[in-house]
Amino acid sequence: MAIGTARVRVPKKIKKGKPFKVQFIIIHPMEPGTRKDKKTGKLIPAHHITKLDIKFNGKLVTHMDVGGAVSANPYFAIMMKTDESGTLEISYEDNKGGKWKKSVEIKVS
Amino acid sequence: MMNRREVLKLAGTGVLLSTLSPFVNLSFSSEVEEKFKKHVGVPMSKVKDGSDKIKLKTPTIAETGANVPVSVDAKIPVEDVDWLMIFVDHNPVPRVIKVHFSPMNGKTFFATRIKMAKTSNVRAIIKKKDGSYLQALKEVKVTIGGCG
Repeated sequence: MAIGTARVRVPKKIKKGKPFKVQFIIIHPMEPGTRKDKKTGKLIPAHHITKLDIKFNGKLVTHMDVGGAVSANPYFAIMMKTDESGTLEISYEDNKGGKWKKSVEIKVS
Repeated sequence: MMNRREVLKLAGTGVLLSTLSPFVNLSFSSEVEEKFKKHVGVPMSKVKDGSDKIKLKTPTIAETGANVPVSVDAKIPVEDVDWLMIFVDHNPVPRVIKVHFSPMNGKTFFATRIKMAKTSNVRAIIKKKDGSYLQALKEVKVTIGGCG
């Protein structure tokens, strides 16, 4: 998979106003910039996600300042609740200017 | 055979080592404290123990430091939480991630997977909206480091 693609998992049935878990994985090398190339002995330049926003219907749910010490192909999980159906949008950017977005529809009953 | 001079030399180095070692330990822990202050913004003494409220889940032994699952589940209403930070004492960059919650989260919960350079304390630090700090701490033993 290409760098920056994300996979989001939400429960199939979501009840109104009840917290549910949102899990997602982003494909990214997450190079911290402190590692050395074993062959050349030079530092591998940093390349990791720095900011991540989770929005629901345009409202900010969670904001993360991500450091280089999060594992490669990072996994995140948060809880959230809502009274209405809508779109969950996850947007993130890395220190090399890459910007990506991923949207998921959420239906409550 | 050992003569008088050699015996004295040996004793001398022994004394030197034993007097030096407490200083070595001191500088080591203060280094962590310095990093803590830089990244968290307050000295370690201002952060209270919140292990009864913050449930920090980590493995006791991680086979590889490249992928250590960490999850935080706090019994603090999310409305009162300003942010949550995962802090690893002996990582080159100890501040792993800072998460800002909102009331829409419903629950103070966060999980991720982190890299660890070596055996170290993993801390979950929560800043509450009233300005107080709480932390939970766990030691994770790492067999193979994951930060180079």
